[in-house]
Amino acid sequence: MHQDQTVERFTVPIGPQHPALKEPANFLITVEGEIVTKAVVRLGYAHRGIEKATESRNWVQNLYLLERICGICSHIHATAYCHGVERLANVEVPPRAQAIRVLVAELERIHSHLLWLGVAAHEAGFDTLFMYSWRDRETVMDLLEELAGNRVNYSVNVLGGIKNDIDAGQTQKILAGLDYLEQRTRHYLDVVTTDAGFLQRTRGVGVMTRNQAEVLGTVGPTARASGVARDIRVEAPYAAYDSYPVKLTLEAEGDLEARFVVRIKELFECYRLIHEVLDNLPSGDLTTRMPRRIKAAETVSRVEAPRGELFYFIKSNGSDMPERVRVRTPTICNMTSVVKLAVGHQLADVPMILAGIDPCFSCNDRMVIVDRGIRQQCMSWDALRRYGIAYYHGNHS
Amino acid sequence: MIETTTSNKTVEALALAKEITTAWFWSLETAEPEPNRLDVKLASADDLLPIVTAMRVKRLGYLSAITGLDPGLEADQLEVLYHFCTGAAIITLRVPIPRHAPVVPSLSPIIPGAEVFERELMEMFGVTVSGLPIAEHLYLPDDWPEATYPLRKDFDPVSIRLTTEGGR
Repeated sequence: MHQDQTVERFTVPIGPQHPALKEPANFLITVEGEIVTKAVVRLGYAHRGIEKATESRNWVQNLYLLERICGICSHIHATAYCHGVERLANVEVPPRAQAIRVLVAELERIHSHLLWLGVAAHEAGFDTLFMYSWRDRETVMDLLEELAGNRVNYSVNVLGGIKNDIDAGQTQKILAGLDYLEQRTRHYLDVVTTDAGFLQRTRGVGVMTRNQAEVLGTVGPTARASGVARDIRVEAPYAAYDSYPVKLTLEAEGDLEARFVVRIKELFECYRLIHEVLDNLPSGDLTTRMPRRIKAAETVSRVEAPRGELFYFIKSNGSDMPERVRVRTPTICNMTSVVKLAVGHQLADVPMILAGIDPCFSCNDRMVIVDRGIRQQCMSWDALRRYGIAYYHGNHS
Repeated sequence: MIETTTSNKTVEALALAKEITTAWFWSLETAEPEPNRLDVKLASADDLLPIVTAMRVKRLGYLSAITGLDPGLEADQLEVLYHFCTGAAIITLRVPIPRHAPVVPSLSPIIPGAEVFERELMEMFGVTVSGLPIAEHLYLPDDWPEATYPLRKDFDPVSIRLTTEGGR
């Protein structure tokens, strides 16, 4: 038989069905043997045209639309939008509202980082860590529900302030929750830096040097794990972050392990910040008056989402609707790094490298989930169960 | 301590951006619409690559986003905004391009991260990005009708519904 020394080249399509996380994206990975030689990304499976939709809705309606871009970091989208619009309208938000925005943003970061920890552990085949971290994440989800009434899309923000105040009972619950989470987080930091089997999947894998991270324009924990000091909360403090300064978490190694360590260490910083906000919560109003129409102007609003810098460009034209809202989410900045880093790695490392940036495709594609016409605002467990059964019969009989 | 270094970084970045755009390239209009923001209006897309190259050489900021703007049909123009950020500074290069022949050069040879923004700009605004290695759709479906650009002001969402649903 003819002995061909050249390695055959295959193109393996990965996705669109959950290439790593349970969200859609498509990667065309060219491999020679097991080694990746080229990677191309195709997004948009969750694209719903939200940027266009903002141009035909008024300022208030857009808040609720934009908050639904993402189910994980909904609060930060609303915050970015509110800050931009408030600046356009020259409205000063009361200090108490600014502080509570920070509080909820940090609770959201905790839930997002714990969610990611679980998913990334699952990608590495470490399902025990996945289950523990998601169990513990319920603590912070309960706190968010307690504060806002919702587990996701908390809808805390309104233009000109916030709508949920915080009382002494809630403060106590938050403090108790944080104590528990802090102790658990210490354990997770220990696990991801010492478990030999796990380290084989993370240490020295997907290394991105500081220079590469800068050139590729990475943001958030992905950049900070490569030693790039990029954090909007520190660089350009918004909301009440100048009253509660954030300590930057940096790691120099730039591999997957560093991305785990950065995010877990950031959790401690979240706990510290929340303590500080609760200890020094200013008193006063929650909202201030917002005009319905906004004079023609442009603004840029940058905030630090759990995944990195979230960038909003907002242009008003004097009417009650925006002229243009441009949303640039952190995942798209980090996506280029996945495509570049995958080259030279084993195919089996690709899902881990992708999970390493904590991708959020809904954010990326700017999706909205359409409700299926349940008219009631509130449903009891029983009613929900009856609705489910009726729905099932209606569709299958 | 950190605060001072950050604000120094911002001030230095803005000064450097002003130097590059006004001293090295003449006849460029600059504006400071908000604190920490510098808008530079380029005469045409021809100036884009030299300026971005100069910024890269000076390590001035990272490309944070590319925004397309359609000022409306009567303007007969589109505008592409390149936002560079560092510290709290936001330096925006504003490139006006003719509506009937919108072309900008690709930044991806200088800034690899620009590729995804440029692919989005192409499909959403119908701006041709010359020299872009991968010019396929990033977000829109493969069967999206040709020469239909959803973020332009003259885009009609109803027309799309009729084409994609085949008159059902």
